[in-house]
Amino acid sequence: MKLFGIETEYGITREDLEESDPVIESMELVRAYLTKPFRQEWDYSMEDPRQDARGFRADHLAQDEEEKAFEKTDRNRPFSFHEMKSDLALTNGARFYNDHTHPEYSTPECRSLKDLIIHDKAGERIVQECANRRNALLGHSSVQLYKNNTDFHGHSYGCHDNYLLPRTMPFEKIIQGLTPFLVTRQIIAGAGKIGIETPGGLQPGHFQLSQRADFIEVEMSVDTMSRRPIINTRDEPHADRSQYRRLHQILGDANLSEISTGLKVGTTWLALRLIEQNALPKEAEILEPVSAVHEVSLDTTCKKSIRGFKGKTISPIDHQRLYLYAAKKQFGHENDADTQWILKTWEEVLNDLEFNPERLISRLDWVAKKWLLQTYMDAEKVDWKDASLIAIDLEYHNVNPDRGLFLAMEMAGNMERLSTENEIKDAMTLPPRDTRAAIRGLCIERFHSQIDSVQWERIIFKKGFLKKELDLKTLFEPEDVLSLKNRLSGLSDIAHFFS
Amino acid sequence: MHPALERREQPINPLEKPKEEAGPKKPDTDSSRENLLKRMKKVDPKQAERYRQRTGE
Repeated sequence: MKLFGIETEYGITREDLEESDPVIESMELVRAYLTKPFRQEWDYSMEDPRQDARGFRADHLAQDEEEKAFEKTDRNRPFSFHEMKSDLALTNGARFYNDHTHPEYSTPECRSLKDLIIHDKAGERIVQECANRRNALLGHSSVQLYKNNTDFHGHSYGCHDNYLLPRTMPFEKIIQGLTPFLVTRQIIAGAGKIGIETPGGLQPGHFQLSQRADFIEVEMSVDTMSRRPIINTRDEPHADRSQYRRLHQILGDANLSEISTGLKVGTTWLALRLIEQNALPKEAEILEPVSAVHEVSLDTTCKKSIRGFKGKTISPIDHQRLYLYAAKKQFGHENDADTQWILKTWEEVLNDLEFNPERLISRLDWVAKKWLLQTYMDAEKVDWKDASLIAIDLEYHNVNPDRGLFLAMEMAGNMERLSTENEIKDAMTLPPRDTRAAIRGLCIERFHSQIDSVQWERIIFKKGFLKKELDLKTLFEPEDVLSLKNRLSGLSDIAHFFS
Repeated sequence: MHPALERREQPINPLEKPKEEAGPKKPDTDSSRENLLKRMKKVDPKQAERYRQRTGE
């Protein structure tokens, strides 16, 4: 089974205002995508963030009280809940909406890493295009968007990586096998951060690998907005529940580097396959994984020992190598292009982290950001405590090409690419061809006026007073997608499909 | 044997690899360094102080 997707919550700001309303700003940003008035069509009926994969439904979430307080304020606004959410299903199969006051772009379901990277980048371009339209309306370039995970004042927002798995994989096995892997994954997938965020505020003078590590508090939980876990136990499969589960991982950083994104998702996918095939390295266990997440994030050498199996110690680089070697042994013979790319690049990156980290400036976000900051510090003769470094960190993530520092590095040819601008441009409107996103995209493109509601696993059409459902809950085989696509493509009216 | 130790018995230092040209190289950042510095110096140090978000997921 190979199907993944990435959800990204963007930070948003209005630079012309001392204080802006994030609900309104996010709503207006999303609506800038529209060329027609907003029509509510996202179907929330299958969503239940309290359903726990450990086999129960949580009676409450840690964020409930804070959310209630915000809802009370939100009720005073002249907009309904649905208007504020402004949930859109796009022709490329993606979802774009205002989630908890952040513009969120969820990629369509992708079957290859390349498609995933292209669609993640298409999301960056779409949100920036919306910012351009909003700024044109405002008459100044005050709306800026950040693909990061912190405001440096103790507020974090997420970038979630998702994997479709067979329901037959016991969740306990996933927890046991994946937790240690995720502790050290940040050495290749961290986006880098200035300072340490504590309840007492930001402690300057440090550079760490991960944006998100400071916010990880427990090993596992269904919560996502406080008491954030290493393993999120939310059980929303967005597929036939009897056959599938969706692993919804919330501890990762939002990456701009295509290599970081590819390795983040690719290595996790291989680790999950190792778990499925009972081929995990036996020595990979980590003691006190939550503390280890923080320790690893603060070690930019990636070599300081963490406590592992039977009291032994191991460096984060060697810990990742345990998984790499197990994956090479188990999957090295496969012809799958993604598998070969992951194994090769994973090994190169771990070797370079150990022997020559500066070779990774063009590949990993945290290394690129550290190099940028060091370059600035050398030129300005300041140290890691200098306050301007926080602003430079933030600007690394700005998705405005006139401002963003990552984008400046990319445009100068300093960052390794896996996508082309033409591929990204196409993905702004076209879905991946071999997943059910192709069907969703086609229906939105061709039969939009006949759609009553849409979501990941079904589309409901209006047919007079009757409603007809196009069930996508089990549509995962590429040949089934193609066959359905061919049937739908020839229709002038969706009613003919149901007649 | 612990795979990490096994690895050390086989030299894998990328600097010593015969296929050096096949792997990634240090990017040529020297030519873009000045432009990047210019852009960094333009960043308003106060913008991070003003940047406030609500907690997301």
